[in-house]
Amino acid sequence: MASPSSSSIDQVSWRASVLSRHLQQSTDNSFQSLQSSVCLQYSPPELSEKFEFDVREMRRLLDDHNFEDRDWLMGLMMQSNLFSPRNSGGKVFVSPDYNQSMEQQREVTMKRIEYLLDRGVFKGWLTDRTLEGEMRKLTLMDVVTVFDHSLSVKIGVHFFLWGGAIQFFGTKRHHDKWLKDTEDYKVKGCFAMTELGHGSNVRGIETITTYDSNTGEFVINTPCESAQKYWIGGAANHATHTIVFSQLYINGSNQGVHAFIAQIRDLDGNICPNIRIADCGHKIGLNGVDNGRIWFDNVRIPRENLLNSVADVSPDGQYLSEIKDPDQRFAAFLAPLTSGRVNIAGGSICSSKISLAIAIRYSLTRRAFSVSASRPEVLLLDYPSHQRRLLPLLAKTYAMVFAVNYLTKVYVTRTPKTNKSLHIVSSAFKAMFTWHNMRTLQECREACGGQGLKTENRVGNLKGEFDVQTTFEGDNNVLMQQVSKALLAEYISAQKRKKPFEGLGLEHMNGPSPVILAQLTSSVLRSTKFQMDIFCLRERDLLKRFADDVSQHQAQGESKAHAVLLSFQLAEDLARAYSERMVLQTFFESETCHSEGPLKNVLGLLKTMYVMICLEEDASFLRYGYLSIENAAAVRKEVMKLCSELRPHALSLVSSFGIPDAFLSPIAFNWVEANSWSSVHH
Amino acid sequence: MASGNSTNDRGNEVLVKENLNVRTLILNRPRQLNALSFQMVSQLLELFLAYEKDSTVSLLIMKGEGRAFCAGGDVATLVRDVAKGHWRLGAKFFWTEFILNYVIATYTKPQVSILNGIVMGGGAGVSIHGRFRVATENSVFAMPETSLGLFPDVGASYFLSRLPGFFGEYVGLTGARLDGAEMLACGLATHFVPAMRLPLLEDALSKVNTSDPAVVSAIIDEFSQEPALKDKSAYHRLDIIDWCFSRRSVEEILSALEGEAAKGTDDWISTTIQSLKKASPTSLKNSLRLFREGRLQGVGRCLIQEYRVCCHVLRKEISKDFFEGCRAILLDKDRNPKWEPSQLELISDNMVERYFSKVDDEEWEDLKFPARSNLPVHAMAKL
Repeated sequence: MASPSSSSIDQVSWRASVLSRHLQQSTDNSFQSLQSSVCLQYSPPELSEKFEFDVREMRRLLDDHNFEDRDWLMGLMMQSNLFSPRNSGGKVFVSPDYNQSMEQQREVTMKRIEYLLDRGVFKGWLTDRTLEGEMRKLTLMDVVTVFDHSLSVKIGVHFFLWGGAIQFFGTKRHHDKWLKDTEDYKVKGCFAMTELGHGSNVRGIETITTYDSNTGEFVINTPCESAQKYWIGGAANHATHTIVFSQLYINGSNQGVHAFIAQIRDLDGNICPNIRIADCGHKIGLNGVDNGRIWFDNVRIPRENLLNSVADVSPDGQYLSEIKDPDQRFAAFLAPLTSGRVNIAGGSICSSKISLAIAIRYSLTRRAFSVSASRPEVLLLDYPSHQRRLLPLLAKTYAMVFAVNYLTKVYVTRTPKTNKSLHIVSSAFKAMFTWHNMRTLQECREACGGQGLKTENRVGNLKGEFDVQTTFEGDNNVLMQQVSKALLAEYISAQKRKKPFEGLGLEHMNGPSPVILAQLTSSVLRSTKFQMDIFCLRERDLLKRFADDVSQHQAQGESKAHAVLLSFQLAEDLARAYSERMVLQTFFESETCHSEGPLKNVLGLLKTMYVMICLEEDASFLRYGYLSIENAAAVRKEVMKLCSELRPHALSLVSSFGIPDAFLSPIAFNWVEANSWSSVHH
Repeated sequence: MASGNSTNDRGNEVLVKENLNVRTLILNRPRQLNALSFQMVSQLLELFLAYEKDSTVSLLIMKGEGRAFCAGGDVATLVRDVAKGHWRLGAKFFWTEFILNYVIATYTKPQVSILNGIVMGGGAGVSIHGRFRVATENSVFAMPETSLGLFPDVGASYFLSRLPGFFGEYVGLTGARLDGAEMLACGLATHFVPAMRLPLLEDALSKVNTSDPAVVSAIIDEFSQEPALKDKSAYHRLDIIDWCFSRRSVEEILSALEGEAAKGTDDWISTTIQSLKKASPTSLKNSLRLFREGRLQGVGRCLIQEYRVCCHVLRKEISKDFFEGCRAILLDKDRNPKWEPSQLELISDNMVERYFSKVDDEEWEDLKFPARSNLPVHAMAKL
């Protein structure tokens, strides 16, 4: 068979042989043997692609920590029939069986959890509070996500929301009573915060709790339909206990939102008296999670079930709190959601890695159209347009991996002092990365053509599975507004105090505004200084514009809160500028601690690609003139150049993600054999 | 054409029988149970490479002379060589042997290995990677390296980690012996043929003139049987094996086994615990990590990693257990090795990490394979 490098004579004769085969098809008895030499043959990309840097070293850079834990858990899942192994094209793949009904998916998800529990995967998740323990827990969550988002969400609700609430809102009596049992799944927890009528605005929830000093009990009620708890993961089938978020009324006065523990099922799984539970039904994805709805009808719980780290009620019914300001009390309540956002940011990048690994591997083995009639068809990834679709997303994903590693470190080493900046960074990254993931999934799905539509090939299916990430644990748009609002508050207070910026990464605004050269050559575009300067310039200018815009609205008589709402366009631009600058900074830091060599060169290309694609995609660079029209054109040219420079590394770069073959899909490997007649089960 | 009795003075260690399109390679050191010498692995490698190019050859058969197929690499000679000179002499042996394993694993023509006797260590390396492995009632399979202070090498981190559940961890860590029926059940063997029918099988195979694996498989099928697993087979214990050997660390595996043992007396469990306690702690930790990594990698990558660990073992910088094990088992035969570190708890992750790192020596390099055409997907080296 002719290869692309054969001489043109060879190609002509090859073409002729193809044609003659077509003509002879009906008469020639030897067609069978001839066919195999002419038809498309799968050739593994490893045979033709070069590996110019050490893929293992890159994997270690990306995974950063707990390598052996990762391998162990991947192996645990691959070796068990519970994880639905399937043979295709001579390889075994594990992924959930989506042909199962919703109920079956829920049951098998619970069985998988029990399997992992029995193997000691969750050991120490709530009782080991060391740094190593935290890192291990986050790593294992990440690995579970590679297999199935339902599985990781169901585990996440139990450990991070239910368990986290007890850890953070509860005190010793709660820790002693619940944490070990939670770790061993003797109780199964859920987290009832969201209601039909209130999602992001937790302070507006309508569930009511009062205190009965005669019996020493709290009484929880769902006063109206909009107060039913909604989307409660685990509630529909499995959870035995829940955290209930509710307004607390003491002697007729509302003390704001508080969290309580209530039992909703007995140990046999029967729903408790005065509790009503209904199903949220089939969803566009994540059907392995049993989301449910809960109504409380005069549910009585002991006084001790109030999670009392910030406020308590005495036996005789006095409200006691160290924190007098209800706003601050409320902020303390939301702290555990940070861990959720750290997980989500990491999970979204897992999904992007999987889809890019599949789409890029496919594009290195699938051909379409010939440039001229006598030439063999062209590999998808050799089309500049295909490179432009996938490689910038690959560069962004790399940048975000480093950002997730940074976020993880900030999270596990958090102190009361860093909590504010952790809140802002985690909000920004959660929103940006989950949006990035949805976009990447759609692009990869299309890049795989029809094959992308098959559930077994994962990419298309992941869209439904991961869509929820843009909404839960804080709607992305709301989170981005919070980021901008926090930056604005910092800006105003720095101006008032006439003090330099400190924390939140705004220190760059203390110096003079960076100056961008009038003419951007390729080497300037690739310089670290320019890249940081242009991102900082955008951020500081947008922050000023946002502040000015808000104060202008205020000058016209608008309230501050309303003024901020009116300036939403600038707020969106600013939050994005902030996130992208933060991501770039983490990329720089990961890159600089590496010594010169082929690996560092590729990191340099990826980083520049990341910057260029941000410059190209965000209209504010042109709108506010951070880039001239000529320079914007130069950026666009550079993107094309970078695509062709990254193209030779595409396979190494997705191999470095370290996702075992079994967690990819048939089109990532020998898709001809996987689809052959002999593999059809007659 | 290379043949067994030509080029070198120890040339009779591999005999070659030629039959039209079939070549039968006979490991011929029966007094040493066909243990692989450096000459043998070199010669086998040459033969395999030559037959791949030779279009008249369509099938390879490999078997052993005498009552063993092959009891492993010639470790005693290796240790003597290393003791006399530089560790590189030993490294050269492993280098060649692992390249041979890789060529076999990625071979384009079918190989039928007739495992009528002992198959251990290096013997598994020259057979299990091949397309067909025929076990008999005389087969005895084991990877006993952890009791020797080494670790299951020759690509075992690839093929053991692919056995059902965590059976590979069990076989590789404890050095447990499997019979032919067990080999077939777990997939180490592809066929079981009673020994008395082997001459007929070989005769039928010698007439093969195609490399089509389906044809070869059909011929072996004609002579095959489904043997019954013995009552006491470890393969009946897959549940317990999965339960215990799926643990994160060797320490946790041991404590899971001890937990099972506490539930009642059971010979199999106490034997299993005993084998783990007798093995080199360093070997156990290195082996487990190799299996766990190996499960996610291609065979090439597995061999590269095993070669790294081998070189560290030979350099004796981290631990000398391999030499102590050889002393106690093969040379002095007191069967009482003094492992150092002596306990699992004394081996830090950092120590294990050192075994997996590149060797700090300017002349040293990672294992490099000859280019292969037609690499099967499963053989692809990833990560």
